[in-house]
Amino acid sequence: MTSHTNNLPAARYGMAIDVDRCNGCGSCMVACAVENNVPPAAAGATDRTGLTWIRVFKIDNGAEGSERRSAFVPVLCQHCGKDAPCVSVCPQQAVDVDPATGIVGQMPERCLGCRYCMAACPYHARYFNWWDPAWPAGMEKTLNPDVAPRMRGVVEKCNFCHGRWHAAKAKAVANGKTAIDPTDYIPACVEACPSGAIHFGNLNDPATETAQDARLPDSFRMLESLATDPKIYYRSRKNWVREISRAPRPGAAAPRAGTAVPRPGTAAPRAGTAAPSAGAAKESSRG
Amino acid sequence: MSLSQMTNSRRDIFKFAGGAVAGALFTPAPWRLITDTALWSENWPGIPRPARGEIRFKFTNCALCPAGCAVRARCVGEQPVSLAGVRGGLCPFGLSAHHLPYHPARLKQGPILEATAAVFQGAGKRAPNGIAVLDLNPGRTVSWTYRRAMASLKGLYLAPESQPLAYDLSAAKTVLSIGAPLLDGWGTPANVLAARPNFRLIQAEAVESRTAMLADQWIQLAPGTESAFAQSIPSLPYAKDLSLVLGDAPEIPEINRQLGAYGKTVFARPEAPVPEAWSKNAAAVTELAGVPDHSISVLLIDESSAVSYIPWHRIQRKLVRENPLVVTFATTRGGYARYAQYALPTAVYPEVLDDIAPAVDCIHPTFRIAVPLVPPPAGVVNPADFVSALAGLPASNSLRERADAVHHTTQGTVLTYADNKETPLKDLTADAFWKSLNDGTRWDRPPGLSIPSTVSACQPAAGRPSSPEPPESPADLPLIAIREPYTPALVSPLMTKLYQESGLRLAPNRVALNPRDARAANLSNGARATLQTRIGKCSVEVTVDPAVPPGAVQVGCSPGIQDVCGPSSRAKVVSA
Repeated sequence: MTSHTNNLPAARYGMAIDVDRCNGCGSCMVACAVENNVPPAAAGATDRTGLTWIRVFKIDNGAEGSERRSAFVPVLCQHCGKDAPCVSVCPQQAVDVDPATGIVGQMPERCLGCRYCMAACPYHARYFNWWDPAWPAGMEKTLNPDVAPRMRGVVEKCNFCHGRWHAAKAKAVANGKTAIDPTDYIPACVEACPSGAIHFGNLNDPATETAQDARLPDSFRMLESLATDPKIYYRSRKNWVREISRAPRPGAAAPRAGTAVPRPGTAAPRAGTAAPSAGAAKESSRG
Repeated sequence: MSLSQMTNSRRDIFKFAGGAVAGALFTPAPWRLITDTALWSENWPGIPRPARGEIRFKFTNCALCPAGCAVRARCVGEQPVSLAGVRGGLCPFGLSAHHLPYHPARLKQGPILEATAAVFQGAGKRAPNGIAVLDLNPGRTVSWTYRRAMASLKGLYLAPESQPLAYDLSAAKTVLSIGAPLLDGWGTPANVLAARPNFRLIQAEAVESRTAMLADQWIQLAPGTESAFAQSIPSLPYAKDLSLVLGDAPEIPEINRQLGAYGKTVFARPEAPVPEAWSKNAAAVTELAGVPDHSISVLLIDESSAVSYIPWHRIQRKLVRENPLVVTFATTRGGYARYAQYALPTAVYPEVLDDIAPAVDCIHPTFRIAVPLVPPPAGVVNPADFVSALAGLPASNSLRERADAVHHTTQGTVLTYADNKETPLKDLTADAFWKSLNDGTRWDRPPGLSIPSTVSACQPAAGRPSSPEPPESPADLPLIAIREPYTPALVSPLMTKLYQESGLRLAPNRVALNPRDARAANLSNGARATLQTRIGKCSVEVTVDPAVPPGAVQVGCSPGIQDVCGPSSRAKVVSA
């Protein structure tokens, strides 16, 4: 994904997801699939072999009975910074970080399907096409003309609805503007969320709601200790949700406070997090 | 070195060839070849190419449920390629509804002529009151057509509720919900979420549902004790703070009356005005439970846009014992088409031209139309035309007549979705109002102009099921059912992202068990099993979920499961 964006100022697009507002309806998942021409599940697809650019996981605090509390966490490509693990391992240069937007892009036409990037991604946010894309007869008429369907044998993932970014850029250029109007570029999942749990915007612009959310005391990023500089921020007032997100893998203890990478605009590590109790993260076993 | 020593042996040729092959691997050539192969394979036939064309936007209202969310359809030419909410987001079913016309399970052809002949013949031979229409999405204009037709034929117009209520969440301070999916498809998502910050929500139910997760307080009930909890509400310490109680327990209307909620947060569900001639010649709304057993000889079921499902055994009890005729207007074969003699295909949203029934969370009259975004296929039947012809009603554009009746009031405002502008109705001519409805608008009569009629309390219908339900044995049926919120009968194939690939929602044909109960029944995740109740049994797939309390089974909402298993039913899951 090489962008010719010399005329537009560099941005750093990201999201702020309020976990406490997500009711797990799945509208974001469906809207994403509609927007990006992701086909319906093949007959043999499972939670490990399916294609879900954004997937809402159900986590719980590990307690039993009436003490049990659950939350829904939408997980998509975290759009890591310059040291994105998937970029460095790709032998085909099929993955890059767009300097104009900060978006980690995937070029399926270059992809060999080696899946190194899937192994390298600590967020499990990449998906492999195990089957030829197939839609029921007639349904292919409903495909989005701005996004090409991918073939079997390549890896794909969230690209912040890059087709929408292109459309917004074209509109800005046509209007003689140097910057994209933020209302012209909203990814499908953000637009679809009925509860308004997802905010999207330029993290470099402190005036955006997203950048402000990212600086709130209850915001966090997943696996901050890996220093991948992800651009997806989460918010939750619940300590156990924050603790689970910091664990290097589900079920393991979180790293000690103080090892976290400071958020933009903050000099000190996050304060206010509880001691690392073993919040057992479990993906829902439904499936 | 002599020349004789420089002759190449066969071994040297092999060594050269092997070295060339090995060396080529270190050149860009093979990698380039693989890349080009990948590029080429992207254009293999079988991978569809999206159609291109002029991008247009159309506006309509979602007809999948009475919420009737405002929809902006992005179209390539005339073909919608994505749907989005106009004022607030849509649910996943509504977001992907433009796929429904192409669903493999969609019913497209049916024996229309044979059904017509059979119904006319049956209607001629029927006993008094022997013909009935069961409307599973009442409150629409087509519902009034059914009522007029049944008045003409001296038949019955049946609906799941005879006295539907509307709830005003914006006026509530504390809401106690006993299992109502308040934040998961109960009302209009945008309205509920807008009102949510202003009321305290207490959710009482057995499982931590989506609503319970976001509630201010979750009270975990033992499965099957919802009614007992409802009876104990007056004695709860916070009872005096409650503005409203929601749920399906039969005690709730009386509790709301005691709380003084009627007239404050609970109202009769208002409908948009109808022409005077319609209301004079319309059959009364009758609950199915109020119909004497074995009294209906011809039953027409409109499940084309059903928003609820009545188990078949309750309907069957009302049919005459010998040769009842059941005709269903359906979009799939999965519902009552399994039992009906004739299943007639109908248009599906977004092909259908229909108005939207009043929403459960709207206390003032509204009028909204779902405009067809794509034409329906040949071979589908219009249920209103079918029933009108049966009764001999003159052909007319009933939607336009009702729009004129609304316009005649000259009250309220019209909200245009395209520009988000509100126009007083009195400023529009009747033709302009009709045109605006077809372009994507909604008419609202503001609460200030509306005089909601309070209802004293829901009275039990005249005739409850005459045959008593047999007692259920905990020994034989150890589990208690918890039901998922209702979902439309036909959903987009993309819902497999939620049902199959992520397990975010319980698929309609699945049941979820606690790991302990699953082990006891020797069942594993994904296993095929049989759900047994005293009504019957049904084939299901099993999900093992620790969030389900022990001793309970959370059941999907497929018609097959609902036929045999209602909420709080005793059940058993055995390996198939």
